[in-house]
Amino acid sequence: MGIQEQYRSEAAALLSSGEVKLVIGFGPGSTADRRRPLFARTPEEAEKLVLDPACISNLTTYLVAGGLLSDGKKVAIFLKPDGIRSLNILVSECQVKPEQVVIFGYAIENNEIRPLSGRSIGDFAEIGSKIRTATPPPAVQKEAERLEAMSPAERFEFWKEQFSKCIKCYACRQACPMCYCRRCIVDVNQPQWVSTSSHTLGNFEWNLVRAFHLAGRCAACGACDRACPVNIPLRLINYRMGKEVKEAFDYHAGESSDQKPVLASFSQDDPETFIL
Amino acid sequence: MTRILPKNKLDDCIAAWQKAGYSVLAPVQRHDMSSFDEVQKASDMALDLILTERTIKDHFFPQTEPLIKYKISKHDIDSETMTPPDKKRIFFGVRPCDASGLAIDDPLFGWDYKDDYWFRRRNNSVIVTIACAEADDFCMCTSVKLSPDSTKGADVMLRPLASGNGWQIEAVSERGTALLDTVSPLLQESSDQAAPVPQVAEKFDVEKVMEWLADPANFESQFWKDISMRCIGCGSCTFLCPTCHCFDIQDEGDTYQGIRRKNWDSCSFALFTMHTSGHNPRNAQSTRWRQRIMHKFNYYQGKFGVNSCSGCGRCTRQCPVDMGITETLQAITNLPR
Ligand code: SF4
Ligand code: SF4
Ligand code: SF4
Ligand code: SF4
Repeated sequence: MGIQEQYRSEAAALLSSGEVKLVIGFGPGSTADRRRPLFARTPEEAEKLVLDPACISNLTTYLVAGGLLSDGKKVAIFLKPDGIRSLNILVSECQVKPEQVVIFGYAIENNEIRPLSGRSIGDFAEIGSKIRTATPPPAVQKEAERLEAMSPAERFEFWKEQFSKCIKCYACRQACPMCYCRRCIVDVNQPQWVSTSSHTLGNFEWNLVRAFHLAGRCAACGACDRACPVNIPLRLINYRMGKEVKEAFDYHAGESSDQKPVLASFSQDDPETFIL
Repeated sequence: MTRILPKNKLDDCIAAWQKAGYSVLAPVQRHDMSSFDEVQKASDMALDLILTERTIKDHFFPQTEPLIKYKISKHDIDSETMTPPDKKRIFFGVRPCDASGLAIDDPLFGWDYKDDYWFRRRNNSVIVTIACAEADDFCMCTSVKLSPDSTKGADVMLRPLASGNGWQIEAVSERGTALLDTVSPLLQESSDQAAPVPQVAEKFDVEKVMEWLADPANFESQFWKDISMRCIGCGSCTFLCPTCHCFDIQDEGDTYQGIRRKNWDSCSFALFTMHTSGHNPRNAQSTRWRQRIMHKFNYYQGKFGVNSCSGCGRCTRQCPVDMGITETLQAITNLPR
C-alpha cells in the first residue's frame, strides 16, 4: 500500500471512530499540477485525499484560523517538515495545544513522497534538531548573497522597486500560520495606526511591520512568498530576519515545541549590543 | 483586403503617437511582475503574454488615489481638490477580457454620482485590444458570454496575422478612428489571414448560475460554507480582478492637515463590513465569499444589466489556495435542481 492509501485509510478510521472531527489534507486542484487544501469530515471525504510531490503548501495556517480548535476537539493534518516546524512555533507560542493535533507527516525528496513516522508533535523532535544545521535553498542563498553584496543605497533601491508593486492585499499575512493575530496591527482602525494607503511609504510600513513581527518566528515555509500576487521576494526578508536572530541570540525558530519565543523571553546571556 | 499594422512598423507607430501627445502603455515584464506600463519602443512590450498579472484597471482606478488636500487652522479649513493628470494615453495590447472589464465598470462609476477620477481617465484613454492567440486553463471569457476576440470596451481591434508579421487593424469606435488617422501612412492593405482564435471551453452555465443565485432560498445554503472553507480571505482575487471596484475613503495626516484618499478595499476582508460597535454582519469567510459571487452574478446584473465578471480567470490563476470563482460557478451549475 502506498503512503497516500495508507494515510487515507488511517484518516478515514480516525474520522469514523470520532477521534478527530476533521482531517486537513490535500485534494486534486483545478489543473493537473495543482493541489488544494481539502477538509475531510467523513470517512468518504477522506477517500479523496491526495498525497504527492505537488502537495507543497503549509496547512498549519488553518489550525489557527476561525477558532478551529477552540472546541477542544482534535483534528488531523498533513504536514511536511516546514509545517512541523510551524506547528512547533505555534505550540511554543501557546496558540495550539499539541494534544489536539494528529500529524500525518511526509517529506518530499527527489520528487517522491516519504512518510515521516510519528503522529504527535513530540514524535518529530529529529526534524527540529536538524534546523540548526540546515542550509537554505540554494536559490534563496544566492539571492540573499547578491543583496548583501549591494551597498545600502542599492539595496534600498531594490526593495523600493519591489515594495512599490505591493497592493496591500495582505495575502502574505493571510497565508502565514504565524500571522494569527485576531486583529492585525494594520487592521486596528480606531485610530488607524498604520495607513491603509498602498503608496510607497504605506507599502514600506506594512512590509517592515511584517518583517519585524516575524523575526525569530518564521518557519521558512514560503507560504507568504507563494501567495504574493505581485511576486515580491518575501522569502529574502524572512531569511535575513532569521539570520539576524540567529546571530544575535543563537536562536532557530521552530526547533522544538517547548522553546521560548526569542523576542518574548529574557536571558541573562542576551547580548546587549543595542545599549549604548 | 484588410488594413494591417505590420510588426516592423510598430516602432514608428509609437513614435507617431508620442508626437501626437500620447503616452503609450503596453504589457511589460518588469521587476518580476507583468503589468501595463509606459513603453518607448516595441521591444519594451511583452505582447506574447497570455495576460498580464496586473490589470489595466490600475490605471483607471489606482490602488490609492489622493482626492483632497486639507489644512485646518483656528478659524477655517482650506481644501484643494486633487485631480489626476489630464494626459492622453494609449493602452496597446489590451486583452479582450480586460477591455471588457472597463466597459463593465463604466455604469458603476457613472450611476448615482459621476466619478470624475474614473471618467477623466476613461476619456483621455484609447484602448487598443489585441485578440488572443492563446488561452490557458484558467481563461473563461466564453463562460461569461464574451470571447477571445470580443471588441467590448475596445476603440481599436487588432487580430494577429497567422504569419506572425503583424495584425489586422480596425477601428471600432470614433476615438479609434481618430487614433488610426494619426498613423494611416504606416498601415497597409493586405490579404494576409488572421490567426485562428483559440477555443476556450465553456466552464459553467452562467444562466443556470444566475437562476440559482436569484432564489432567496439559496442565500443561507450550506453550499456557501462548504465551497469557501479553504478561502484564507486574502483579497488578492479582488485586487487582481479587472472589474472589482470597492474602495474605502481614508484621511491620512495629523490633526491639522492631511490628504483624503480613495483606497482599494475588498469584500474578502473581515474589516470590510465591520461596524464601529464591533458587530460584523459578514462575520464568516463564507458570507464574504457569497457576497463576492452574489455581487458579480446577481446584484450587479440587477442594477446594470450585466455581470461583473469578464472571465479573465485571474481570481483562480493566482489564488494561493486554488479557489477562484470558476470552481464555485461550476459547482452551482452542477447542483441537483
Ligand atoms: S503582521 Fe504582525 S500584527 Fe499583523 S497578523 Fe502578523 S504578527 Fe499579527
Ligand atoms: S501579498 Fe504581496 S502585494 Fe499583498 S500585501 Fe503582501 S507583499 Fe503586498
Ligand atoms: S478566494 Fe483565494 S484569492 Fe480570493 S480571498 Fe479567498 S484565498 Fe484569497
Ligand atoms: S471574477 Fe475572476 S474571472 Fe471574473 S473578471 Fe474578476 S478575476 Fe476575472
